[in-house]
Amino acid sequence: MTAFIDIVLSGIFHAAVLFLLAGGLQLVFGVQKIVNLSCGAFYALGAYFGITFVNLALQQGISSSYLLALILLAGIIIGLVGPLIERLLCLVYQREEGFQLLLTFAIMLVLEDLIRMLWGATPMTLGNISMVYGKLNFASTTIPVYKALVIGSSIFLALALGWMLQRTNFGRIVRATAENRRMSEALGVNGVWINVAIFTLGTMLGTIGGALVVPTSAASLDMISEVVVEAFAVVVIGGLGSMRGALVGALIVGLLRAFAVYAYAELELLLIYLIVILVLIIKPSGLYGKAAE
Amino acid sequence: MKKKLIQNESRRSVIKGIGATSLLAAGGWGFPAIAQNTPIKVGILAPRAGIAGTIGECGLRGAMFAVEKINKTGGIGGRKVELIVEEETNAKDTTERFRKLVLQDKVDCVQGIVSSGVSLAMSPTVEEMKALTIYWDGTSQDGVKETIPTPKYLFRSTDNECEAVMASLLAIKYYKGKFATIAGINPDYSYGRNNWAAFQALLKRFGIPHKVVAEQWPKVGTMDLSSNIAALKAAKPDLIFSSLLFADLPVFMQNAHAAGLANGDIKYVMPAAGFQQTLMKKEFTPEGMVFGLNTLDFNYPNASPLQKEFVQFYYSKYKDYPNWEADRAYFAMQIYKAGTEKAIKTKGGAWPKTEEIIAGIEGIEVQSLGGPGRMRGDHIAEQTFYQGLTTHKNKYDFVTTNPVDKKFSSELQKPPGMDFWQWIETAKITL
Amino acid sequence: MTIKFKLLIVFCLALLCSTPWILSPYYMTLLLPAVAYSIILLGFNLLFGYTGLLSFGHAMYVALGAYTVAILTSRVGIKSMEVNILAAALVCFLISIPIGLLCVRYVRIFFGMLTLAFGMLFHSILFKFYDLSGGDSGIKVIRPSLLGFDLSEIDKTSFLIGPFFYYSIAVMLILALVMWRIVHSPLGLHLQSIRDNPRKAEYLGIKVHRFRLIAFVISAIYGGIGGALLVVPVGLADPELAYWTQSGNIVFMTIFGGFNNFFGPIIGAFAFIGLKDQIVSQTQYWRLVLGIVLILLVVFLPGGIMGLFSGKKSVAPAQEER
Repeated sequence: MTAFIDIVLSGIFHAAVLFLLAGGLQLVFGVQKIVNLSCGAFYALGAYFGITFVNLALQQGISSSYLLALILLAGIIIGLVGPLIERLLCLVYQREEGFQLLLTFAIMLVLEDLIRMLWGATPMTLGNISMVYGKLNFASTTIPVYKALVIGSSIFLALALGWMLQRTNFGRIVRATAENRRMSEALGVNGVWINVAIFTLGTMLGTIGGALVVPTSAASLDMISEVVVEAFAVVVIGGLGSMRGALVGALIVGLLRAFAVYAYAELELLLIYLIVILVLIIKPSGLYGKAAE
Repeated sequence: MKKKLIQNESRRSVIKGIGATSLLAAGGWGFPAIAQNTPIKVGILAPRAGIAGTIGECGLRGAMFAVEKINKTGGIGGRKVELIVEEETNAKDTTERFRKLVLQDKVDCVQGIVSSGVSLAMSPTVEEMKALTIYWDGTSQDGVKETIPTPKYLFRSTDNECEAVMASLLAIKYYKGKFATIAGINPDYSYGRNNWAAFQALLKRFGIPHKVVAEQWPKVGTMDLSSNIAALKAAKPDLIFSSLLFADLPVFMQNAHAAGLANGDIKYVMPAAGFQQTLMKKEFTPEGMVFGLNTLDFNYPNASPLQKEFVQFYYSKYKDYPNWEADRAYFAMQIYKAGTEKAIKTKGGAWPKTEEIIAGIEGIEVQSLGGPGRMRGDHIAEQTFYQGLTTHKNKYDFVTTNPVDKKFSSELQKPPGMDFWQWIETAKITL
Repeated sequence: MTIKFKLLIVFCLALLCSTPWILSPYYMTLLLPAVAYSIILLGFNLLFGYTGLLSFGHAMYVALGAYTVAILTSRVGIKSMEVNILAAALVCFLISIPIGLLCVRYVRIFFGMLTLAFGMLFHSILFKFYDLSGGDSGIKVIRPSLLGFDLSEIDKTSFLIGPFFYYSIAVMLILALVMWRIVHSPLGLHLQSIRDNPRKAEYLGIKVHRFRLIAFVISAIYGGIGGALLVVPVGLADPELAYWTQSGNIVFMTIFGGFNNFFGPIIGAFAFIGLKDQIVSQTQYWRLVLGIVLILLVVFLPGGIMGLFSGKKSVAPAQEER
């Protein structure tokens, strides 16, 4: 039983982080119809900057019990590179999707080397600082409080996003623009503003995800191309453009992977791809996505 | 290397020159009268990005240190050494960069390579292009027999499995009788598989009863190991063997500790942990773990002055402590220097041909950063290996090893001509 | 095609064939992947430029071709290059059909993501099933015999620069001619009309899915043959050939040369490989430089190199060559 709970918890933790990354992808795709191949680079940026920021804060004498706040802050701060990238991306909004995809691929290459220039090739960790909050007894097992906080943050962000999209004026405008951009612009919506805001928000979700995960993980260069594949699996399973899809997709991928590791260690990632293909055969637009054609 | 032809020189100058040469040769200098002022070009192939970027970086730093030292003392045979660095990526691209180094840059020697896969891939090309090459690392047991049965131009590093063998021997030495069930969490590629297989083969060989209760094979570099840890926890092993060696290693340790797997009940054996030593913080890394430092233990108490100098230099320049890749790079450069100078002496002062340098390298003995090493006649290196039990009693925030066992690789790798698995079963191996 | 244009092509070919006397051995060995990628990209552009489908998993077929040759030469012992090429084509043909059937139901981004998923699935399979595929170490490729001549006495570099070079050019020529016929056939016109307006094409009775599938399979076959040629100089087929960033490079190269033009992919292959070699030799931050080049390309010069010459941005290739 303990093992079962352990696995479920680890699956949920992984899903929490994946959700943030995939959610960012979905947001950007839903509104701007761009698939951001460089999302992995933002994830890595969040991880590396998170470490730098926390170390800086600790040096300044800030107590390590502020870890969560520091991490979230770091994610938000580095997410502010979003507008810069968006201004580059906007040059190809009118173009075919192939070019947009290619541009995000180029951005990934550039960011990869920039990260290497800034932080070097050696992986970085925050040591054991994530244990500053101790452990939590949950059923017959324990989980580090920090991990529970990460799950909590992710849930909170999911709810906040949902609330923003459903209840606020801004959210309404975002949804309208996602549905029909021309119409909403015709009705007076400032398209440029929406683009910058949404892309920044999407980027920030990615950087926050990377920052949140790094205290219990490590920042390393190969994160950039590796995490893209899993994020895409989530997005495909959940359905392109749907936030709910990102949530459900992340849970499916996270939990399935956790169980696969336990039961069928040999399969692991292979299982994820097979599920992706299966979903695409049965329900091509994903669980919550709109039809492809 | 062709000597410059003497053109339009008067006979007297020629005779003078010959006289001078013989004087120098007699003096054992080996310095040709017609000055060879051109530098020796050594091509370096090392990863600089991706998962092995940090390893390549450390190796490169070791190579640069070696070259600086060599040039300060006059170079090799009086010629300075120049490095031309190319990046090791995947098999195809790295082979292309290798061709560039040999065909275009016309380097005298190629050194480097960290990845097992790339090392096997490049070997036939090395031989076909007749380019003197010294590998830093790589080459697991798989495929070695088929691809490089008798290398002529290629010099290989010690077998990748040396650390697995030593770790297994230490595990038997320190933990015998203290474990019944074992679990393995190893990276899912040839290195990880061979390490795990070697461990089990040695346990069997020494008659240690053991039952495998869990086998985890995370994809190379996976950072989220919590489910793997949950599986290990559920299996309740007495001993965990892990050849994780990339950034996933400290992540594993930290999360295993958080899951309660590192409170002293479970014995750990980690043959390749040295790569990430500075990230294995005391807070989550238990004492008494078999910890592999390969050919360089930067903290070794009886270290040679050379090693102490290097560690000090490395820390002051890079604010970090070196891992063994720096030693492998230094070793490669040293055997090249020693082999070349031996060939020069044999030839009586003239610059030797590649084949003569190769003959000079075979059997050569050098002092590397981590200790003495040599190159066997079958082109496989022998070096000094360090592994020990972890301790928290040091001035760092990460673990070091005390006691440290030192073994020369002749005890850890198969002798010339023998098959690895056969050797494990039949050889005389001492604890 | 004008006489002038035909002469230009002949001139370029002659130049290419005379390179062994002009270029240094290293640059000669660099031409080999360029020729192989020309073939791969010609096939890829049938799918991208002419049919409008952007696949981000094309590297999979290159890897399939490579592994076929590896298995045949080192495990089965079939050294004939011709048999290997045919086998590579056959394997890609067979595997691309079910994948294509699934993928061509979608367009644009969905197609790209599906192909990416399949590509990475193949990459994982290569890694996981190491008994079959050699895992991360890959499978060796033994030097094949060309046209029945066993040339193993010649040293590798001379073999590559000499007989193998001309062999590759010959294969490229044949495949280019075939592609030319395809593109100028009714099939080619169908594909372009599907690209320009699928609904209208359907309305006119064209079975959109079937034609897309045909383009997909043909592009896969070209990828496999290119992969077969690509892997001989390396001597090893390894899983990294199928990684998704390799697929990204394929797209990069095609756009670099110009996807609107029949010859764009060929130019792109040579130009990209030459450019990358120069950049990598200059700096360790070559990804940064290439990324910037790609950004500039996409933003300012989407027509690629050929686009520079033609001066037009989005003209259908068929019209250009009239």
